[in-house]
Amino acid sequence: MGRQARPGASPQSLYTIESKLQKPMRHCLYSPGSPSCPKMSSEQEHRYPWSHYTLACCRSGPAPPTLYVLYAVQIAVVTVLSYLSVVMLGPLSYSGISLFYFVYPFIIVFTMWWGFWGALAGYIGCVVGAGLMVGLPLLPSIAYALSDLVPFLVMFAIYRGVLARLGVDPLMRDLVDSDVRGYRARKGLAWFWFIVLNGLVLNALSAEIGVGIQYAMGLVPPDAYWFWWIGWFVGDFLAMVILTPILVKGLTSMVERYGLINHGWFT
Amino acid sequence: MEAGTSEAGRRLEKRSVRTFLYSMRIGTPVERLHTITKVALILVLSTLALHMFNIPVEEGGPDLVGLAVLLLIVLALLGAARVARYLVTSYLVLALPVLLGIFVWWLYFNRGLPGPGMQLYLWPGYVPLGLSTVVLAAALAILYLRTRSVPGPLAAALILWWLSLMPPALDESPIASWARIPFGAAVAVDVPRWALVVAVAKVLGFAVMIYSTFLLLLTTRDAEVAGALRQLGVPYRASFYASLVFRNLDTVMADYTNIRNAQVARGAMVARSGPLARLADLARISVPLVASMIRRSVEMGIALYARGFYSAARITEYRERRPFTYVDWAVVALLAALVVFDVVLGYRFDSMLRLAGYG
Repeated sequence: MGRQARPGASPQSLYTIESKLQKPMRHCLYSPGSPSCPKMSSEQEHRYPWSHYTLACCRSGPAPPTLYVLYAVQIAVVTVLSYLSVVMLGPLSYSGISLFYFVYPFIIVFTMWWGFWGALAGYIGCVVGAGLMVGLPLLPSIAYALSDLVPFLVMFAIYRGVLARLGVDPLMRDLVDSDVRGYRARKGLAWFWFIVLNGLVLNALSAEIGVGIQYAMGLVPPDAYWFWWIGWFVGDFLAMVILTPILVKGLTSMVERYGLINHGWFT
Repeated sequence: MEAGTSEAGRRLEKRSVRTFLYSMRIGTPVERLHTITKVALILVLSTLALHMFNIPVEEGGPDLVGLAVLLLIVLALLGAARVARYLVTSYLVLALPVLLGIFVWWLYFNRGLPGPGMQLYLWPGYVPLGLSTVVLAAALAILYLRTRSVPGPLAAALILWWLSLMPPALDESPIASWARIPFGAAVAVDVPRWALVVAVAKVLGFAVMIYSTFLLLLTTRDAEVAGALRQLGVPYRASFYASLVFRNLDTVMADYTNIRNAQVARGAMVARSGPLARLADLARISVPLVASMIRRSVEMGIALYARGFYSAARITEYRERRPFTYVDWAVVALLAALVVFDVVLGYRFDSMLRLAGYG
């Protein structure tokens, strides 16, 4: 009865559950608050196609070296892209703030895929790529590069720990796809949280940490603080909105097919 | 045996080795320092520079003499490492606008300092023909001859020319302005006198930090970093993965260039100007770049499996090990003494100079 489950759909996905429901009840999956719908069990509520992407620490047993090689290589990629961000589009403040830090969406996507390692790539990329390789001071870079670590760790925790239970894909596929492995994506909700959380809240946190640390170290003139803060915020926001959906659309399914997406923080 | 001896002899005859940014001459005093010593050197110099240029005006203001001394030390080390010439020819255009920009930022965006003010021209209301014109022409000529490009040298020369227009003494000095061509209205701002001192201090401090960072990059190899990590007790596999990051920097850069060239050869516009256009162009490069990254990682992982990296209980490792010599200990001790002298005890180099009877 109902549609056949599509190849690749999780056997416990809502799509499969849908096929077992009576036809009039199928709408309940997409509007569970409707009075005519039976209350879903907690097991059903949590059976999204992304339920296996959690905030667990590690897998049981050692991880294959391919994964660690991948983590190392993606750090190198982010480092090179951080370098190009500063060199190609020019520094804003001459102390490490690029006009358009176009590596920012890469860090977002890599963190969603690889958890801690993606965020670490952002940190090392900022220190080495946008710092050492363009001749900017090492000590300040080590300090303010925390702006490329802390917000991404917070983002990963919120997406997998909270938003994933509310029907938002922690891999952000619902930004660009109408269905995710058989589950009808809630695009509006996904974009709402993407803009509010990543674009506004965490971007502001990143700017505050980055420019704030530079100000505390005496690298930013007092009267220019907000000018640099706004430059940081706007530059990252534009890069994020333009590039993140493209990266998600073009790469996430491939990375998932290879089995390379972390199920937890570290592996 | 003979082949091994001749090979070793050829290696001993090597004069330069590849570093992160360029290459360095073997046998220089800086090349003989341990990687840990070099990292400590730039961290301490950066700390001293940060401390010296952040001294509040109420406590005597920035230590300009100390910053100048630090800068001389860094330049001397660059000279001793025989990399100063490469640095000047390759990074002059990048470094000079950065330092000039820092000066301008700190001069005009630091109004909250105490003490008397002074007036500086943003624009004097005329185009002077005089000393500032000489500055513009000379800067442009020197930078163009060094770099053989126009935009960067022109930007730096214009900034220098504009800086030479700022002092109000321009109005009265016949040397500064032999002739004047009226152009626009005069715009002047009041800035505290201390803002000029702070701006100069920031430039000197940034120069110390920037050039000491270059000192590390121009005199350190990635193999040395991996070896230093092992000497610090980092497990072999962890240091191996860390060395993978450095080894893949060149590979990723080459991938980026190859993808870009392939797209240009197939008619994709990836060389447009404008930040938004460049962002869109980058989006076209990003997908194949990440795909090649994943493919390479999988291939390397399989290669490691094939060589027993994962299953071997004990790995025979080949690594570069440089001993920590008495020179390294002496340098570290000197750096520690400088930190205690300046940061902990709060002594200033300009005060020492005054005590000695100079100034």
